[in-house]
Amino acid sequence: MNEENSDIRPILEITGLKKYFPIRRGFFQRVSGWVRAVDGVDLSLASGKTLGLVGESGCGKSTVARVVLRLLDLQEGSIRFRRQEISRMTERELKPLRRQMQIVFQDPYGSLNPRMTVGQSIGEGVRIAGIAGSRQRRQRIAELLEMVGLSPDAADRFPHEFSGGQRQRVGIARALSVNPSLVICDEPISALDVSIQAQIINLLKDLQDRLGLSYLFISHDLNVVGYLCDRVAVMYAGRIMEEAPALELFEAPRHPYTRKLLSAIPEPDPDRRKTAAEVAETEAAEGSEAAEATGCSYRPACSAKDDSCRDLPDELREIQPGHWVRCTKA
Amino acid sequence: MTKDNFTETGDLLSVEDLRVHFHGDDAVARAVDGVDFRVGHNETVCLVGESGCGKTVSALAVLGLVPCPPAEIASGRILFAAQDLLHLEEEALRRIRGNRIAMVFQEPLTSLNPVFTVGDQIGEAIRIHRALPDDELRLRCASLLEDVGIADAEERLGDYPHQLSGGQRQRVMIAMALACDPELIIADEPTTALDVTVQAQILGLFRSIQQSRSMSVLYITHDLGVVASVADRVYVMYAGIIVEQADTAQLFRAPQHPYTRGLLASLPTRSRRGERLHSIPGSVPSPARKPPGCPFHPRCSYAVESCRRTFPAMCDYGGQHMSRCPVLFEAEKPRRQQ
Repeated sequence: MNEENSDIRPILEITGLKKYFPIRRGFFQRVSGWVRAVDGVDLSLASGKTLGLVGESGCGKSTVARVVLRLLDLQEGSIRFRRQEISRMTERELKPLRRQMQIVFQDPYGSLNPRMTVGQSIGEGVRIAGIAGSRQRRQRIAELLEMVGLSPDAADRFPHEFSGGQRQRVGIARALSVNPSLVICDEPISALDVSIQAQIINLLKDLQDRLGLSYLFISHDLNVVGYLCDRVAVMYAGRIMEEAPALELFEAPRHPYTRKLLSAIPEPDPDRRKTAAEVAETEAAEGSEAAEATGCSYRPACSAKDDSCRDLPDELREIQPGHWVRCTKA
Repeated sequence: MTKDNFTETGDLLSVEDLRVHFHGDDAVARAVDGVDFRVGHNETVCLVGESGCGKTVSALAVLGLVPCPPAEIASGRILFAAQDLLHLEEEALRRIRGNRIAMVFQEPLTSLNPVFTVGDQIGEAIRIHRALPDDELRLRCASLLEDVGIADAEERLGDYPHQLSGGQRQRVMIAMALACDPELIIADEPTTALDVTVQAQILGLFRSIQQSRSMSVLYITHDLGVVASVADRVYVMYAGIIVEQADTAQLFRAPQHPYTRGLLASLPTRSRRGERLHSIPGSVPSPARKPPGCPFHPRCSYAVESCRRTFPAMCDYGGQHMSRCPVLFEAEKPRRQQ
């Protein structure tokens, strides 16, 4: 979709991605409808960069992550990873590529096996990465632990012996154990304490500089996204509403939904406390989310809508180089 | 704005030297370790801190909701309207709880009973504390729902919690808290489980009901953004103690405790793009294994030898701004006097 500078090849290109989940009813579990979790998403991530994917719960952002990793099958669309179309690959064809795409999950408590030592958890990946000898493997595990700021003797301990922030470091070390080039971070800091979040953000940035990683960074925290990401895509009800370079998106948002999201950020600055009128504006924009067949899908909740929104197709348009908006009024 | 109120009429709630200990098998966790705070009339006060810092336990202690055992209120006084809640009979406490002091919890889904209608649950406190005929009760419930911004209130009274969205459930929780016109609402992370746009609405709702009903709110959160948008005054907690207290503008403009400074400097914002974030090293100590002296000293870049041994005293910066760091207080004295 978006033309990055031609010298930076996109590592990941998603076009027209759709993932519907069936709603089953009755004794025979007949499919009575579909939840359109991801409904035509286009995204492109440049190599070595960070693309933020933001939106509220239920907008489909985590489903995008799972479909990109082929942990879920897709209905339609194309996923190109390093110029290879992976959306229709068989498991066997995918296997060598899986190593290059990893994920860091939100919950550092649920995503580590409590009965495996940290060394065993990371060691699985190290073995898959093709390091055979047990001494070499131990050495690599120690190296990975140091890379994420843990001491090598952490390898013999169990997850419950660590704090949330340390467990998230283990999760990151495990993701890195297979030398990936793309890491999908699904809300990697939202379960952590405030004083720990900055540590993990700094770590992710250091690792990117050092290893040239590309991140798809999924978050509902706009402050973090504004700090960390090169480009940001805003998702609503399964679709991308706006995508732009991070600073441009924050300083000149063009879609009413982006503006609503940005105005809702509680800023750590009492001088910028929202006035009652600004809050009322947000209230007014809350509406029923019944999807209608034609026109803009954000229309029921939009504060800037008029009659034309019902008829015009809502396509992503490039209104400035690299700035895409799904709103006819932008 | 509310400071004058506060000095003229005294405090609505005043907690003094509260200590809550949890007895485990082999250790005592001092979850709340000598905490003083007060809430004035018509004032919103935030307790802010990370998980395990004792903010929720402090708030639950006010309502007598800390389970004893395993907990033990080791010392302290909780004065509400000139009564010490810690020495009140259960019966007398029950007349205050839900009536003069009400609570809003974090998880609206788990705090609402799934088998009763919204109307039943809002009406419950009124039935207990006030004798109202059925039709008046219904009207009162409907008007409460309207006050918290739920449309078609009359019809929604018959809804069950699962029929409502997360934001609406939290509005119902707030309506329940408002049912008996309490003087104080304690809100424990009421927006943490909600989306940002819904959070903005609920924060707005708190501000407007607080103003229109002239209530006091004790608001518990870990989010400094939320603090900045609701609080008149703030208490910063760390490892069971209050490390800094100030009015909100003052706290954000001139934080004095190394922990508060560290937290504010570590917030990612787009104005800090490209810079490395300041981060506080280490992690929060477990309440059962707190370091001696100042509990923050292992993570503190200003720490000196005495911090390891001596429990720090509160230092008075004037204008109700206090910070528990004598090291910075002394070090920056010349600068302040200029």
